[in-house]
Amino acid sequence: MDTLSEAVANGTATAATRTTKDIVKERFKEDETIEYIFEAYQIKGPEYSNRLLALVSSQSGGTFAIIAFSYLRTPLSSANELIINKVFAIDHNFQLRQDSKSSITTQQFDLSTAEDGPIKYYYYATESHHYEEFVAKVISFKSTMAQHDPETVLNFRWLNDYRQIGEVKQELKKRESEYIVYKDIIIYCATWNVNNKTCSDSNNPLRAWLACSEKPPDIYAIGLQELDTPTKAMLNSTQVQAIEKQWIDKMMDSVHPDVEYEILMSHRLVATMLTVIVRKQLRQHIIRCRPKSVARGIFNTLGNKGGVAISLQLNEGNICFVNSHLAAHMGYVEERNQDYNAIVEGIRFDDGRTISDHDHIFWVGDLNYRIQEPPGQQRPGPLSDAQTYELLLQYDQLRQEMRRGKCFEGYTEGEIKFRPTYKYDPGTDNYDSSEKQRAPAYCDRVLWKGTRIEQLAYNSIMEIRQSDHKPVYAVFQVKVKTRDEVKYKRVQEEVLKAVDKRENDNQPQINVEKTVIDFGTVRFNEPSTRDFNVYNNCPLPVDFSFKEKDIHAICEPWLHVDPRQDSLLIDSARSIRLKMNANVRTIAGLLRKIRASDNFDILILHVENGRDIFITVTGDYQPSCFGLSMETMCRTDRPLSEYSQDQIKQLMNDESPEYRVTMPREFFLLIDYLYRQGSKQVGAFPSYDSRLSLGAQFNSVRDWLDTWSDDPFPANAETAAQALLLLLDLPEHALLEPVVENLLECTNKSQAMDYISLLSPPKRNVFMHLCMFLRAGIESQFYDLHQVASTFGRILLRSTERAAWMDYHSRCIQFMRLFIDTDVEAMGNGNEGAGTGTGSGSGTRAGLQA
Amino acid sequence: MARGFDHLFKLLIIGDSGVGKSSLLIRFSDDTFSGSYITTIGVDFKIRTVDIEGMRVKLQIWDTAGQERFRTITSTYYRGTHGVIVVYDVTNGESFANVRRWLEEIQNNCDVVKKVLVGNKNDDPDRKVVITEDAQRFAKQMDIELFETSAKDNINVENMFLSITRQVLDHKLRTSPNEQQKDTLHLKPNPKGSKGGKCCR
Repeated sequence: MDTLSEAVANGTATAATRTTKDIVKERFKEDETIEYIFEAYQIKGPEYSNRLLALVSSQSGGTFAIIAFSYLRTPLSSANELIINKVFAIDHNFQLRQDSKSSITTQQFDLSTAEDGPIKYYYYATESHHYEEFVAKVISFKSTMAQHDPETVLNFRWLNDYRQIGEVKQELKKRESEYIVYKDIIIYCATWNVNNKTCSDSNNPLRAWLACSEKPPDIYAIGLQELDTPTKAMLNSTQVQAIEKQWIDKMMDSVHPDVEYEILMSHRLVATMLTVIVRKQLRQHIIRCRPKSVARGIFNTLGNKGGVAISLQLNEGNICFVNSHLAAHMGYVEERNQDYNAIVEGIRFDDGRTISDHDHIFWVGDLNYRIQEPPGQQRPGPLSDAQTYELLLQYDQLRQEMRRGKCFEGYTEGEIKFRPTYKYDPGTDNYDSSEKQRAPAYCDRVLWKGTRIEQLAYNSIMEIRQSDHKPVYAVFQVKVKTRDEVKYKRVQEEVLKAVDKRENDNQPQINVEKTVIDFGTVRFNEPSTRDFNVYNNCPLPVDFSFKEKDIHAICEPWLHVDPRQDSLLIDSARSIRLKMNANVRTIAGLLRKIRASDNFDILILHVENGRDIFITVTGDYQPSCFGLSMETMCRTDRPLSEYSQDQIKQLMNDESPEYRVTMPREFFLLIDYLYRQGSKQVGAFPSYDSRLSLGAQFNSVRDWLDTWSDDPFPANAETAAQALLLLLDLPEHALLEPVVENLLECTNKSQAMDYISLLSPPKRNVFMHLCMFLRAGIESQFYDLHQVASTFGRILLRSTERAAWMDYHSRCIQFMRLFIDTDVEAMGNGNEGAGTGTGSGSGTRAGLQA
Repeated sequence: MARGFDHLFKLLIIGDSGVGKSSLLIRFSDDTFSGSYITTIGVDFKIRTVDIEGMRVKLQIWDTAGQERFRTITSTYYRGTHGVIVVYDVTNGESFANVRRWLEEIQNNCDVVKKVLVGNKNDDPDRKVVITEDAQRFAKQMDIELFETSAKDNINVENMFLSITRQVLDHKLRTSPNEQQKDTLHLKPNPKGSKGGKCCR
């Protein structure tokens, strides 16, 4: 900030370093001057955004504006870093209001323009003396503008280059001189008041008018007035269209015969029609073409008078043609001026362009301005006489009004060397011989405005006699801005590259301290955390978040990420905490993951509008018996604590039917311990849910099991029972998979045994051994039969699908009773197992040793 | 035209780790090359706008991590892709052998997508092991266009990207003529000049 302020304050450039002003200047055209630049915050609600306000004047427009830039970094190193944020034209509606009462200091102000309606832009100045200078300049410019007549339209066309157009277009516009060449084209403008005569009067009278230029024109703009339509116009549109078509066909028949033409557009307002005809070859270079009309005449709305305009873009040049029929009669000069102004103000093409927003403007029509004085000399003699014309033109109302600045400001008309074109007795070259004896006048005119226009001819055609007006034409040579395609392509390529580069360079970026987060040794039921930092060292604030993956979670269930998302200001860092928890709820999934991959998870750190960074979470999982399948445990030949993650991964993926032991030693140790506890184990299996809440002693039991410890069991019977339940419940698949479904359907033991025999030896042995142990416990009345059948049934027959059955739970109990209820067993096969809640007091304890 | 382009396409670069995916992208987007190798750990993208027959096409090109362990995760980025660039290293036979797997990835994760096959690092004949004829035969069999490029020496990189862009553009213009009109007619003159726009009646 400070650097920028200093640069602003210094204002002048030293040879070595460019000031901010120099850099900003690059964003503007040659004839635009930066009067002042000034730094402020834009206030939007609670947000303050950096802005650079440039007060700019345009020599060609003679106007001022404030342009607000946002920028990426300070100090600025190139104009590319500036992005136009808002453009304020300092016109009649512009307001700078200093907000003294509302807020912090007097340095807050707002800017508004008519275009933005009630929307105000609030700014807060960063330094008071810059602010005061800025305000003083703005006020002085605003008052300069106020001296203009409020009716005059201020020229802000230069601002269009900075308004709401893409960066590419801005850049291309700025470098226009590198690829623009000027191409000569011939424009033929013609006007004729046809006096309601039909066009089929004679064979081909129009060629004399439209094909009289030496070189074939490239564009014709032909304006007709008083087509034979006014009364019918509202009645019969087909008929009007037919008349229109006849005239257009006639024009096409009459244009220069040497080249092929096509109609570009014809537009009609009641009886005033403007037709633009172009050389066929030129058509493809016309990029845009739009019509518009303004109705005047009766009530200023009926359109018996008014103007029709066509706007077109040829290559890079914007051309506008206007055909108007203004108020008639000698005394109605003011009305004609009003008609003219109404057309100028009323015509706004669909793209927002007005007539004056064109490079080349041609205005034709029956403008109806008359010759005022002296009456005696209005009627020229039969011979052409330059002196007579000159004299008459001194009294020509149009020229007088133009001199007075009342109409056609900025327009030029060529020298008139032809007789007044109005009013003749139709069919003759004689001026009005009727009772009215209308004074001859130069009603029919062609004017132009714009750059690089040269008039080659301006004349009337005497030999076309069917109307009371003579047709008039003017030929122009116009240098139209054209792209040199080769140069344009090169410039465009450079511009696109520069703009793309800017976008790429400004892509939000964050750095992460590391992309592999290693948890080191991870143990079952021992949560651990790791922290890592993310930094923002790109020039804008950045939002980041961890992206949801296919599973609709940002990470696997054994991980927790905090925060999941955040914003980083420039040059700031944020610490992210990862928690790893291999617990009863997550262990099955974690082991599955370990089986299939070499990491715990990969997180996607997403930078808003930028790249994604993959963060791999790894560690060494210290194998434990909990969560391992009976088969895997039966493949071990030493305590699990002596295995590495890779070794256990290999065992988990081993599918051979070879086992080292008949049942897992860890399982046997627990059963053995419980069995030895005798009556101390009463109530050891309190409920199904109790298996999940692990007490403080649990991890010592884990270590005792995983090390095959010779020490005494480190906890009580209840903890041992819990460990047993978990040993059976935590593996991914239920102990009795894959025959759970069949077993749930079984009604007798022999049928169930058939299915049990299909299990792998470790599972089968564990099941049989467990049942024997439970039966003994029930017989000794250590446990409640129903309770144990319920708890173990749901664990051994775990099934997410079947759990939805209404009688799933009772089927589990029924199945277990086939194996642990001595009464059921005593009743033999085929019995439906309706035993009592408790078993008998006696039982075989010898079974355990089998 | 405020958006500054007529079409926006998403391209994806895939292939084994170390074949030069990022280098190709940097060469195309920034016209630079850095000899030092930095593994892409994630998914990066760059944009570049090109002019194809008067149409401005903005490309958003995604560069993916090639490492095996990211395979599953990168496959989620195939969605919405218009064109895929499958890269191998002409000095590394294994990377060429793996092209088949990468093509399967495309098959499994994309609907309609245009592809090019790119043999990168084609700047040192002594080190080249994947000979052009073999690659060409394979490409033909798979019906993909082959480009042998060098991001280092800037050989064929531009051509390759423009080719895939053209394929994608052609496909779009062929399959949705209405959209084509919507997108381009008002922005550019009809280059043939035969049919007039709606303004000329």
